[in-house]
Amino acid sequence: MLSTKGQVIERLLQGAFICRTTDEEGWRFLKNPANREQVDDYLGTLNRSVASVGSGADAEVFYCAYRQLGENERRVVGQQFRDVCNALTPLVEWLLLVQEATAQDAPLTEGSPIRLNELQGIVEDTPAFREQLARISHYRLFGSTSTSVDAQIKQVFKRLCELGYLVRPNPEKQIYLGTGKLDYLYEVIRFIDEAEGLALEDRAEAASQGNLL
Amino acid sequence: MSANLHQAGVRFLRQLGRHAEPIMDAYLAGSISDEALEPGVQERLVKDGILYRPEPGADLHLRRTVRALLEEALKDDRNRQIDANTGATLATFRTLAAHYTEARHQGDYVAADAYLADLREHVYSFCESLSHSIRVLWSRINNEFGYVGSLGAKIRENELAQTQVSELLAGLELIDFQDLAETAGDLRELRRLLVASLQRSVSDAYLELGVVQARLLDLLGRFRKIQGRTRLLRGWSLHVEQQPDYQPGRHTALPQMPQLLNLAEALLAPAAVDVHDSVLEAELLALAAQVRAQREERALLPLPEAGELVLDEVESFEVQASPIQDAVQQYLCEVIESGRPISALAWRAEQRLPWDEETWLYQVIGGYEALPDEQKDYFELLPEGEDHPVFSGNYIVRDLALCLSV
Repeated sequence: MLSTKGQVIERLLQGAFICRTTDEEGWRFLKNPANREQVDDYLGTLNRSVASVGSGADAEVFYCAYRQLGENERRVVGQQFRDVCNALTPLVEWLLLVQEATAQDAPLTEGSPIRLNELQGIVEDTPAFREQLARISHYRLFGSTSTSVDAQIKQVFKRLCELGYLVRPNPEKQIYLGTGKLDYLYEVIRFIDEAEGLALEDRAEAASQGNLL
Repeated sequence: MSANLHQAGVRFLRQLGRHAEPIMDAYLAGSISDEALEPGVQERLVKDGILYRPEPGADLHLRRTVRALLEEALKDDRNRQIDANTGATLATFRTLAAHYTEARHQGDYVAADAYLADLREHVYSFCESLSHSIRVLWSRINNEFGYVGSLGAKIRENELAQTQVSELLAGLELIDFQDLAETAGDLRELRRLLVASLQRSVSDAYLELGVVQARLLDLLGRFRKIQGRTRLLRGWSLHVEQQPDYQPGRHTALPQMPQLLNLAEALLAPAAVDVHDSVLEAELLALAAQVRAQREERALLPLPEAGELVLDEVESFEVQASPIQDAVQQYLCEVIESGRPISALAWRAEQRLPWDEETWLYQVIGGYEALPDEQKDYFELLPEGEDHPVFSGNYIVRDLALCLSV
């Protein structure tokens, strides 16, 4: 059997995001600065390093980044960023759908549970949500071609698990947990917002106040 | 005097007990209408200061003190009243201390004792109200302001709690122990009350309030983060709606690319299993079991659409008889034609049939048994053989003959 360090390195090199939900042991291991340094040293030979969402003691999600960016690395990083950006809109719409359907204040984040059956029940009963789900599931990211709510929602959840945004701790139950990759997603949106001066928060605020009036 | 007070107090408490139902109704609903109470009861409750009418024509409300008593006793979350008026309390301390000193100087020890008891009561209740305020704050923090629904309301509640903490802290600032020590002078009782005991509870309160403040800020940060995320999502969805062809810029091409976007490519592909490693046998078996399970699952997948089913005439087809069955048929015909028993083995030899004896005999028996009952009745099967020499009940067939039955 591999040691925790070995497992952590393996998962990082597989391109996984390590958070408390997906791999608590590895996450604890990396939370310790000394351990993180060891892993970092190991990855250094492969021109990689441990990166995290949040810094210092607030680091909650770990992933693998390049240490030095050459031509090739930049190309790869550019491609990854484009992939993330292409996935943003479908994911954002899905997150909003989940938040609205479950009537929660907080959007889905790492560790928050989501019950497929419950969500499906609510979506099926509400025509507006049904339309929204149909639109979301037909995005290329999810790639559903079905017209039934059941198949659409299952396909969306399946893809989200494949993409690493959700995990299903017990394969016999329809309960899913959000992973740290969602937190990464929020950070990317925040970054784009700040870098391009989109003022997304102000816009949302203005819109919600407009609704109240 | 005190006997009177005692009696009046008992009467008041009995009053509360006797009308517990309407009082609790008023507590839960906020007010109680005139019709719900008998006029006599209503008058008595108002006179005793349990209920009051805030303005003419309004319903009756519970007095603040009674409500506070209930909130305290029920540990009600909605209780967010915090008394931060330290200035007035301090003035009371000083006044009572002055009374006490004066009475001591004049040698009026009875009056001095009464003043001291009064002062003690005030100091204790001040300390108690401090710790109560902190307890109320904690209980609100601990259930994360769960008594209000929306995130916006939680943030407002949090801000209220923070101002209360600052007010409490500002109130504590007012307590000048130097000044209190001078007031107490060299009177031992006063010093113990105003300096020692007060100082202890005030410093405890300081410590706790510091922790409370940190937790409140922490919570506020979390609430704001959650709110910020929701706004980000909504903002993004609005933005994309307004500019459908929006594409984020090429941030990765910048020289100082943010660490956030630096995602390394997946490097490791899963390793293959070593089938020659006997240590892994158990795992491999488990894997193999899974493969089978998957295959079964696949069979359960929805079947492809069935073609249209049309009911029409069944196409005629021929059953191809095997040669051995043909041979049996011929044998039967021969029996019918000749009209005498024919030994199956003799017929086999005569016709030079290619099958071995046993197969042939079985086929003949089978052919006979397969006949429809009315045809079977025309024939008779005569087995030739002997009993098994050792095991009784076993009959060994050496040959058989078929004949027409009589």
